[in-house]
Amino acid sequence: MSMTTSDPDTDHSDRHTLGEILGRALGGGWIFILLIVLIAIFAAMRPTQFASSYNLSTLAINAAILLVLAIGQTFVIITAGIDLAVGSVLVFSSVAAASTMLALSGSAGSSYGTTDASWGVIAIGTLVGVGTGAAWGLLNGLLVAFARIPALIVTLGTFGMSLGFAQIVTGGQDVRAVPERLVDVIGSGSVAGVPSLVLIAVAVAIVAGIALHLTRFGMRTFAIGSNAEGARRAGIAVRKQTLKVYMLAGALSGLAGIMSIARFATTTIGGHAGDNLATISAVVLGGTSLFGGVGTIVGTVIGVFIPVVLLNGFVILGIPPFWQTVTMGAVLILAVWIDQLKRRARERG
Amino acid sequence: MFARAWTKTWIAGASLVALAAASTGAQAAGKDVSLVLGVKGSPFYDALACGAKDEAKKLGLDLTVSAPDQFAADSQIPVIDAVTARGPAAAVVVPTDTQALIRPMAQLAKRGAKVLTVDQTIADTSFIQTQIVTDNEQGGRLAADAMNELLGGKGSVMMITQPPGSAGQDARAKGFEEELKKYSGITYLGPQYQSDDPQKAAEIVTSALSAHPDLAGVFSTNDQGAIGGITGLKQAAATGKVKFVAYDSATAEVAAFKNGAISVLIAQNPKQEGEVAMQSVKRVLDGGKLEKTTLTEIAVIKPGENAKADQYEYKGNCAQ
Repeated sequence: MSMTTSDPDTDHSDRHTLGEILGRALGGGWIFILLIVLIAIFAAMRPTQFASSYNLSTLAINAAILLVLAIGQTFVIITAGIDLAVGSVLVFSSVAAASTMLALSGSAGSSYGTTDASWGVIAIGTLVGVGTGAAWGLLNGLLVAFARIPALIVTLGTFGMSLGFAQIVTGGQDVRAVPERLVDVIGSGSVAGVPSLVLIAVAVAIVAGIALHLTRFGMRTFAIGSNAEGARRAGIAVRKQTLKVYMLAGALSGLAGIMSIARFATTTIGGHAGDNLATISAVVLGGTSLFGGVGTIVGTVIGVFIPVVLLNGFVILGIPPFWQTVTMGAVLILAVWIDQLKRRARERG
Repeated sequence: MFARAWTKTWIAGASLVALAAASTGAQAAGKDVSLVLGVKGSPFYDALACGAKDEAKKLGLDLTVSAPDQFAADSQIPVIDAVTARGPAAAVVVPTDTQALIRPMAQLAKRGAKVLTVDQTIADTSFIQTQIVTDNEQGGRLAADAMNELLGGKGSVMMITQPPGSAGQDARAKGFEEELKKYSGITYLGPQYQSDDPQKAAEIVTSALSAHPDLAGVFSTNDQGAIGGITGLKQAAATGKVKFVAYDSATAEVAAFKNGAISVLIAQNPKQEGEVAMQSVKRVLDGGKLEKTTLTEIAVIKPGENAKADQYEYKGNCAQ
């Protein structure tokens, strides 16, 4: 597991050679080729439909929210943890943010189901969303790192609790009136032809990639996933680092909650139930080890796109819906298997 | 070795770009129709799809059916987006949320498809050709009439429904409650809520029987409530003594109906909804106009009408 993290000595932390970075990125290399092949096949079979600029941009929009969630999940899984609560924390944060923005907003907006809330109100709502997300992450982190309850159980518990609280706050009814500016500019707007939601996801991915691969924070994340005891002996505050990682995942779920409001123009309490497994499979497809200590953001980006591209391609080709379910499961296993074979070959030298 | 993999990747990438660049050409013919269901693997929607497929074949339409993994907007929107990219001449959608689906469906309409809704509707219908629905309120009224007849105009009655917020269920509950007021001999005990959870529905029925030993009738606004409700009656050894009226005619409900655990079924006709959807598509594509709302049938299946129950059973039994 880890040539990249076996040396927790901070002096060496930022001396990554190009080869090392490429090597790690190639953890997801086969998956990248798979993605390219999928895109090539669909594009060849339905050039005017699949490869249209409209479709490529909706593909990116459909991946954007899941990508932000999956990036948080990547950090957590690299520490050898797991976060099953991402989807319902997203729901809770979006409900908290949408209710706040509704309470602070004035009259109704010009299009259906919107308010004319100002950017100031939207900024407050965003803070509430990210803040409540981080608070759930803090709870997860405290219970995992300090109460020493397994992450699977902790986040399964908060998965139910955050969704339950969201339902209590709203009486189970979605908050329907959201700021028109948020929906128009962030949800369906674009900058220089690139959808705003995609820009946000790309920015998050770049910052997260730098944080994971080039900073002390990232190095420590790898260290505790690779060998927690070793990391502790090397003087890393393991519990504090674990706490920070879960808070990061929570905050990113909160941000994804705001993106979700912007995109759907409503909260989506009934949805996002499968987001936890979707992000975990994306992270694993991307070459991150469920045992911790190995992983990349680039891999996760690719991992998020595979199911999105498969679903889109299958619908465009008109393949019956049940086959999509089967194929996605098979692709996950196949991809991870190929990755394992490749890893073993590399270890043998 | 890394270099080799990367080279391969770039070659693949470059050929993709070339492909995309080379891709020009005609749109699909004007007979390509898409149907997007509410969720995969639901007998109701499978029956709807069967009706649509058979009718599409008759009318010479080229139908493709898609469905999301969950009955939820975030699950369905990527499917709608892919249908939009496919660029069908017409699309029939079961919208899973009255608001979140507005934008993707408006986009579908803007890119040239004639858009219809079936089974469910959305809040903004300005770009919708027609909404094919059943009159849920009328269904609720029919249930109240059937209940009154079963009880001979006398006794206490409760209702199992979903928490407020689902438009269809709310309308059924409203119709039932309003119609029940007409019958002065009937005491209404009010609604109890379950969300597609048979276990909860069973608990509701058993505790209601403890609180009201004279409970004479139960109405469930959907199949999950009915399946749980009759389990509760069985547990309390009150099957048949307490009359059960249930919405829908899922396979489990039809079996319970034949056993006498359910007395009356208020059935929709998903197959017919699918057929009507395709007929409406055909008319729109031929340049015709449609009413904003198209109502489809609701059937009341009374005790002893086993053949009718079979006929209306929700089954997706056509060839895929």
